[in-house]
Amino acid sequence: MAVDLETREAGWQQDLERAGLLRRLLRARKWHGADWWFVAIASVMVVAFIVLALFPGFFAPHDPREQVGPRFLAPGEKPDVESLIIPGDSGITSLLDIVGDERVPTAVVEGTPSSQAARDEADRITQVLQDRGEDVRLRLRVQRHDTIQEALDELVAGDAVIAVASSAAFDEVADDYPSLDVAGPVFEGQTLSSFLLGTNQIGQDVLSRLIWGTRIALIIGFSASFFSLFIGVPLGLFAGFTGGKTDRVLTVFMDSLYAFPGLILAIAITAVLGPSIINVIVAIAVLYIPTYYRIVRGQTLSVKESLFVEAARSLGAKSRVVLTRYVFPNVIPSVAIIFSVNIADAILTGAGLSFLGLGLPPTTPDWGIDLARGQETIQRASWLITFPGVAVMLVVLAFTMMGEGLMEIFNPKLRDR
Amino acid sequence: MHPLLLTFMIIGLPAAVALLYVFVRGTTTMRRYILTRITLTIPMVLILASLVFFVLRIIPGDPVTSSLGPKGSPEVKELLRQNLGLDDPLLVQYGRFIGDILTFDFGDSLIGAQRPIADELGERLPATLELVLPATILALAIGVVFGTWAAVRRKRAADYGLRLYSVVIYSMPIFWLGLLLQLLFGVWLEWTPIAGRIDAVIASDLERTTNFLTIDAVLHGNWEALSSALHHLVLPTLTLGLVLSGVFLRLTRINVIETLEEDYVAAARARGIRERVVTYSYALKNAMIPVITLIGLQVAILLAGAVLTETVFSWPGMGRYLVDRISSRDFTAVQSTITMFALFVALISLAVDIVYSLLDPRVRY
Repeated sequence: MAVDLETREAGWQQDLERAGLLRRLLRARKWHGADWWFVAIASVMVVAFIVLALFPGFFAPHDPREQVGPRFLAPGEKPDVESLIIPGDSGITSLLDIVGDERVPTAVVEGTPSSQAARDEADRITQVLQDRGEDVRLRLRVQRHDTIQEALDELVAGDAVIAVASSAAFDEVADDYPSLDVAGPVFEGQTLSSFLLGTNQIGQDVLSRLIWGTRIALIIGFSASFFSLFIGVPLGLFAGFTGGKTDRVLTVFMDSLYAFPGLILAIAITAVLGPSIINVIVAIAVLYIPTYYRIVRGQTLSVKESLFVEAARSLGAKSRVVLTRYVFPNVIPSVAIIFSVNIADAILTGAGLSFLGLGLPPTTPDWGIDLARGQETIQRASWLITFPGVAVMLVVLAFTMMGEGLMEIFNPKLRDR
Repeated sequence: MHPLLLTFMIIGLPAAVALLYVFVRGTTTMRRYILTRITLTIPMVLILASLVFFVLRIIPGDPVTSSLGPKGSPEVKELLRQNLGLDDPLLVQYGRFIGDILTFDFGDSLIGAQRPIADELGERLPATLELVLPATILALAIGVVFGTWAAVRRKRAADYGLRLYSVVIYSMPIFWLGLLLQLLFGVWLEWTPIAGRIDAVIASDLERTTNFLTIDAVLHGNWEALSSALHHLVLPTLTLGLVLSGVFLRLTRINVIETLEEDYVAAARARGIRERVVTYSYALKNAMIPVITLIGLQVAILLAGAVLTETVFSWPGMGRYLVDRISSRDFTAVQSTITMFALFVALISLAVDIVYSLLDPRVRY
């Protein structure tokens, strides 16, 4: 906007006025070095998060609501499960492959849960096979040994067909037995692989919950901001354009709402409405209506006085036309900037609400809920509070940085609103 | 004396004395401004209180059923309903609610021992203030010092670093920062306690007068209690203060930058006054004026942050009371607590505006 430009650096600013929105952004690289890069990096992050939120199922390795591993598994740590050890060339991949008439010699270590685990799973498999009507069963002949080396030696010697031992115990001595392999966990459905960000207190995959949480966060952020935009912008335009008593009453009301701690109001609204994502969106949207109202009203007031509006009026343009064709387009850039910062705020508030246990149903894969649960086990599992927090921070940072940078580039006067 | 009144006096007395002084010694315009500003505070509180009242009443959900649970018999419910006056027309209830606010009698809690809510708030408000005041001071100190520094080194590494700091700290969920500090200082290093206001054993020996634990400890010479209270204060204050410091840093930076471009600063430089003096005693002084006004607007962030900080650190203040009572569906308590918050916000913004008018004589209504 021409009004805001300083005369001192008139040269590039004249260029700027001639350039379109996109060219203005690209040209800004010259004069706003770091700000431009802020916007660029932040935009990439925003796009990445939107992609994550659109296709969480594609990126998440597991179902966020399922128990997929042992509880409290640290990031990258291998789960310690009873595993099936076989000679590398035997071709056995699971207990199902050794179903037959004869008892299968199985080497285990005395005093570990291995033999019980092996027999339980064998019984289960037998049961499943018989339920299917097949007349076969899986029977193991368990041979107990004092140490894992003895058990494995027997397997190497061919006196046993399989061995069952905990994966951690096998890993320790695995180098001495190059001919042996781990076929997999004894129990079907268990996993031997580690989880990149660990598992939580009920054995859910932290990474998958993080990725699905992006969707919740962005749904809340975008919907709440759109909602407040659709109410706040028309109200602000109307109040700024007409002025008078309506304007004064609306402004007092909006200022009061603006001054009040939003989170506290959101707490009250969600408490009454009950837990659901729609209610969270409504509660947050109400809080940010004044933000749009104030900015749009202020802009409208100043645009209303500018020369081109006066020209339009004196040419006989109706109020409605002046408002929609002359004033409104000039308000759009600041609304876009507020929108970006607003999404960040809404996501933060949403996370705060669910951290307090309000708003979202407790099974939702949400960062705030994960953080609240993580606090209960802070002494035992620090990874449960670090990663969801980093996720909230990165998303909020991306939207804030984008908004701030754009603000600095497009409309330097607006930054100290 | 009622604890709630006492708290208001501790906080309000210095302000009232200052106000009276300005009022008596000030000019006529100033007096008129102060009066106008005080009158404007009343609709603000009323609007917020009414908003809370109607939000809690109109939205579906019955306070009686939700506080008694499904077990309550219809007769008991009816009795409670009558006692609370919930059968009256909405406008009558509204009138009574406003009357309650004016007399500082918020009624009794719906659950538990059914204590008067004013008593509860009298214990909780000092706890919140004891957390909020040092946090604001910390935030201002960090914000002003580093904001000025960033402004002086504009567009250099220090400036970009500090701006990044302010954006990052602003983007951090405050409860997460609290959790991280708990983890670092409370769990790993074991330097500070991670929850509560004071050690329970020590607290039982401490006589309560003001419910500000640090003040009480000093008043009664209980140094052990003072040390325990201060230790418990460290992490919550740090959490709240750091998050707020980002906002103050930005505000100070922008305002100092703008002031440094003013003509009188150039004139001071031309006279050969040292740059340090120019920055700190010429520019900073004037740059602080708008920063002070904006403190008023940060109260919202401060209080929202306080609610979350109190929850993380099990700090028995107003915010945690609110969250507790919401989960137990105690609507009288919720309504009163939010009204107290509204009152708090309105009074702070009143104070800030008056201070601003004293500092900057150009501002008048």
